[in-house]
Amino acid sequence: MGNPAPAIIEFDIRGQICPSSLLITLREINIRRKEIKGGLQEVIILTDNRDATTTVPEALVNMGYVVSVVKKQGYYLIEVKV
Amino acid sequence: MTFAILVVAGSCLLLGFFAGFIMHRSDYCIAGMFRDLFLFRSTFMLRTLLLLIVISMVLFEGARLCGLLPFYPFPLLGTISATNVIGGFLFGVGMVLAGGCVVGTLYKMGAGSILSLVAFIGLVVGSGLYAEIHPFWSNWARKTVLLQGVITLPQLFNLEPWVIVLPAVVISVWCFRKWQRQGLWVRQSYAEGYLQPWRAAVGLAIINLFSYIVVGMPMGITTTYAKIAAYFERGFWPEHFATLSYFKAQPLNAKLAWLDLQLLGGAAPEIDAIAFIQGPVIIGIIIGSAISALILREFQIRWQLPLRQYASVLIGGIIMGLASRMAPACNVWHLLGGLPILALQSLIFLTGLLGGAWFGGRLLTRFVMKS
Repeated sequence: MGNPAPAIIEFDIRGQICPSSLLITLREINIRRKEIKGGLQEVIILTDNRDATTTVPEALVNMGYVVSVVKKQGYYLIEVKV
Repeated sequence: MTFAILVVAGSCLLLGFFAGFIMHRSDYCIAGMFRDLFLFRSTFMLRTLLLLIVISMVLFEGARLCGLLPFYPFPLLGTISATNVIGGFLFGVGMVLAGGCVVGTLYKMGAGSILSLVAFIGLVVGSGLYAEIHPFWSNWARKTVLLQGVITLPQLFNLEPWVIVLPAVVISVWCFRKWQRQGLWVRQSYAEGYLQPWRAAVGLAIINLFSYIVVGMPMGITTTYAKIAAYFERGFWPEHFATLSYFKAQPLNAKLAWLDLQLLGGAAPEIDAIAFIQGPVIIGIIIGSAISALILREFQIRWQLPLRQYASVLIGGIIMGLASRMAPACNVWHLLGGLPILALQSLIFLTGLLGGAWFGGRLLTRFVMKS
């Protein structure tokens, strides 16, 4: 039997002021560090801040996470997992 | 409208358009550069700001030596006083709380940001509020003046500007090459149509050079915020408006020889030189950014946002508007225009701005972004 699918935790930061995307992401990732590292949770961030598509992946990759960024309709979806 | 005014206004609109487009593409947020230095120890964007300043230094000095600059130093720069550092500090606090400086607010607003629209309203309110304290503040500014009549560092030492510019540029270029070898100029971005910030810096320096050559001064916009406030104030409270001396002053008084045009203007609610120079820049930045966002399908309006952020951008905008009159002038005027010609006011403004950005970052994390 395989591991259960990780729970997806979503944060919608669209329209918020800078640097909400990076600050909220760092804070939430730190709170859920064990769950994410254990493969129990994945975090998804919705942002329309163009700068965040650089700063968020940069910071999280340095912390050892796997980060992907996909452009959606008028915003970016950043997925964080192990 | 005369041909000369059309040339000036049209050029400013075009330059503002390109600036807005470029800033949106690379998210060239000067407020963020200073804020992130203190919040995240990030220097990537600040390096590109230094590049912008140094390129402008070379371009402005080259243009001066070729006789292309209508004025040197440019109009509205004054003698240093204590107000420059206090204004710079408050400006730094305000721009961080507002999520963007006077120009950042415009290009973000152009891309549909409601919070930046609120910050813009705050900027207008703050600029108008300044008129209430102007008699006291300008009096204090006069009392704390240092080095009367000296505007730039070369003037202070009685040197030709290139004598200071040349070594500053040589040292900077040495640093830039070192950063280039370390791969510190480029970063990976997933944003569609992303413009590397160093390219934005080059573009903005060229735009500012054109502004200096054509209009006689680099880009500046904040007197127009006060002018917008003046229109409202005159409309709603005409009797009180009549008592405010700030709205009667005309600090801009210079002759643009190549167009045979007398530039005369201030914060008064009139279509004067300030209006046809700064107004089109403001409109151009908003349109340029909006078009960039529309092309990328990133123009989005969202208003269901945390109340704390609404309060932050409004208060930040008011502080920034007030500070831009107290300093006087804004970060774009001082950093992209004044620093390249080594204006003393701009150097002092920068020291205040650094402290303000640090303090603004503390307020932001403690009161606005708290969980």
